[in-house]
Amino acid sequence: MIEAINEQLLRAIGVGVALVDIGNGSLRFANDTFVEWFDRPDDPASPLALGTLDLRAALDKLDRDGRHTVELTFKLGRRTMTVAIEFNKALERENLAVLVCQNISRIKELESMIDSYAMMVERNTLEIRREKEQVEKLLLNLMPRTAYEEFKSFGVVEPRLFEDVSVLSADFEGFGEMLTAHDPALIVSELNDIFTAFDRIGEQFGCERIRTMGDSYFAVAGVPDPVSDHAAAIAGTAERFLRYIERRNENRTLPWRIRIGVASGPVIGSVVGVQRYVYDVFGPAVSAASYMRQAAGAMSIRADGMTSGLIDEGAAPGGGGS
Amino acid sequence: MSQSLYEKYGGFATVSRIVMRLYDRILDDDDLGPFFDDIDMPKMIDHQTKFVASLMGGPASFTDAHLTGAHRGLAITDAHFDRLGVLVSDSLGEFGVAPEDADAILVQIEARRPMIVKAPAA
Repeated sequence: MIEAINEQLLRAIGVGVALVDIGNGSLRFANDTFVEWFDRPDDPASPLALGTLDLRAALDKLDRDGRHTVELTFKLGRRTMTVAIEFNKALERENLAVLVCQNISRIKELESMIDSYAMMVERNTLEIRREKEQVEKLLLNLMPRTAYEEFKSFGVVEPRLFEDVSVLSADFEGFGEMLTAHDPALIVSELNDIFTAFDRIGEQFGCERIRTMGDSYFAVAGVPDPVSDHAAAIAGTAERFLRYIERRNENRTLPWRIRIGVASGPVIGSVVGVQRYVYDVFGPAVSAASYMRQAAGAMSIRADGMTSGLIDEGAAPGGGGS
Repeated sequence: MSQSLYEKYGGFATVSRIVMRLYDRILDDDDLGPFFDDIDMPKMIDHQTKFVASLMGGPASFTDAHLTGAHRGLAITDAHFDRLGVLVSDSLGEFGVAPEDADAILVQIEARRPMIVKAPAA
């Protein structure tokens, strides 16, 4: 009676159970689940076939080592099934193997899904990192790195006084007329070329471009990192700007007439604006440079007394402000 | 930034359940199942995880070109595509996705019809 109930239970559970002869591999018993997964051999005496599994090798291993487990993946209809098969020896019948088969397809499916998801997340993380770098690059265009680091850590940039600074202010005489007389897109494109070249020249002298506004270009030496010969650096930059424009004008029909003012003195550097951040500098040297620029003739540089003095102090014979 | 449906319904924890249920439904479906007779399980799971995640605004990068490529050469009709909509809708409903949100997802699916349907309806 109890045996009959046990057998019924065994047939009904979702775990595949089979008894296999270790000697010849023939199937002695299989519950419904097992039969659903693996075909029962037509000839009861012939060895059982379990998909791609080498049953003979598995039974030999069982005989040698005691229990062991293998995973078997096969197609059941259109579904990919993965079953973990545990081989045990029957307690009272040494020549009989008990195969307990757990369906682990869902676990495999979930593993696949996690792999897929992990790849999506990794790709996204990479994209986010790339975007972050883009934003950082953009912010570094708006402010010096030290100001950016301060801004990143504290959300603000405290105004800071820089004592020894030289300032360059440049613009182009007749720019408004150029815009009306020529294709504005062409003028702006040329201006873009010029300012890009100025950035490169300034960088060579340790100068930092602070801002451009329309045709005016504004750079400093000594902010935020000190430059010991800031006056010479700004004068060198101004000379190279002038030379660049002269050379450029030689082989073009559209001449640019630059005016450059330079001045030295203290400035205050800070980020201004809450929604639109701009790093800017203020102070007497800034006003003086603008004033010098306005006083400069086309294709010339005009320096204030402070800059000229500093250059004279630092320069060997032959030096001097223009 | 507005919350995506992916975030609203608990992210991957819920999406994974929806995907598993959709996987089961598609495989057991008499009309759609045969398309997957020879498709490996990991490939199908990967495809559906990305598909459902991208429909719900999750971290998927499932481009239109990818979708077109994946269905190239298959004789998928409008009827098949409609059936997919029903199975997705049922799977979403089962995991508590509100009808208006399910509708929004179905609109997303509908937009992809030209990339998936190749043959005229029988």
